[in-house]
Amino acid sequence: MELDAKFDERIMALIAEAVPGKFKKTKITMETSLQKELGLDSLGMLSLVFRFEELFGIDIAQMGIDVNIAKLKTVGDIMGVARDIISKVPLAREV
Amino acid sequence: MTIMDDRRTETPRIIDCHCHIASEDHTPRSFIEGSVANMVVALSAQGIPVNARKLTTMFLSKMQDPLGDGLVTEMAEGGIRKSVLLIADFTFALKDCKLTIEESFAKHLEVLRRHPDKFEVFGGVDPRWGKDGLALFERSLVEFGFRGFKVYPPCGFSPSDSALFPFYELCAFHHVPVLLHIGPTSPVLDFSISSPFLIDEAARLFPTVNFILAHGAVSFVEECVMLCRFRPNVYLDISGYQATLGYDPAASAVKHIVSLGISHKVLFGTDFPVFRLQGEQKNFVEVLTGKNGALEELNERERAMVLYENAERLIKSAVAVAA
Repeated sequence: MELDAKFDERIMALIAEAVPGKFKKTKITMETSLQKELGLDSLGMLSLVFRFEELFGIDIAQMGIDVNIAKLKTVGDIMGVARDIISKVPLAREV
Repeated sequence: MTIMDDRRTETPRIIDCHCHIASEDHTPRSFIEGSVANMVVALSAQGIPVNARKLTTMFLSKMQDPLGDGLVTEMAEGGIRKSVLLIADFTFALKDCKLTIEESFAKHLEVLRRHPDKFEVFGGVDPRWGKDGLALFERSLVEFGFRGFKVYPPCGFSPSDSALFPFYELCAFHHVPVLLHIGPTSPVLDFSISSPFLIDEAARLFPTVNFILAHGAVSFVEECVMLCRFRPNVYLDISGYQATLGYDPAASAVKHIVSLGISHKVLFGTDFPVFRLQGEQKNFVEVLTGKNGALEELNERERAMVLYENAERLIKSAVAVAA
């Protein structure tokens, strides 16, 4: 899949979807903190992972990729990981 | 030197009074699956396609540190000098434990010897194991160098059950504290006997034993504060505050607890590895000690008490007796 601006938009939309209502007004940039500014706890992060898998029709664990959720601190971190995963899956498609 | 300076230098001082070894050796699969069940319900309700097996696998990926090496690394990064490893005895209540409680004690001793300056261990024994359990606990204090007693009432007994009194007598004799679980836990266990008030009888009958109410900043908060304020030998630990960070990133629960004039009774704790999917030890320390952190309004003296002095005081008397 081409990692273009559209891809980034989809990831941003996924993140926005996972943000609890209390933090909906926070402006999301690459530097935005996932926990402090967007209120994404472990459950929020898990929901993000599962929605990501659903969107691209993949299973990260089955791909043998170890995503250390605990190390993801900013929106930019998520974007980096998402790009890395998708670049390893040439046949990944939006479903 | 400030606490923040400590965190950044080679001489960390923080003591984490509530940790567990991250391994299925000591936490049975049924306990973990019970906890995962709540996550499945929450995620499914949002229309997210998830199954329990997948979530359990993710959780178990964070439970692969049987020798404590990973925890020691995270402690160094977070400025934590020492952590207390708690042995919760699930072996009587849950029948899928991999190890006997005696084997679990032996594994903890192995970790203690591997990292002698990094850990203290509080052994836990279900009182229904009778004399054998009591003998094991005494051995842990006399021979293994363990420094406390861990009680897990949701396994099916009150912390003031008279069957525990011989254990508390040993605690009094050896000057070691008791740390007991408070509040909800894995749904495979009994929440109805997790109230802090259940310790009151034991705390009154054993005034020389110090009792620590685990998770007191997030479970039965008002009751825990009341007991800390009016029972000289009752303390609380703040572990579990990470569960609130999703809706309250500033950790107001901790800020609230330390604003009530009981900082001399509050102990820092993280409940490692329970929140390992959420962050690392340094992140959880930062929430409290960083800029605008939950401990910011405390003076240096109070902050030191919460982060290490209170725990140090409780453990030190045990060390002095052992010496």
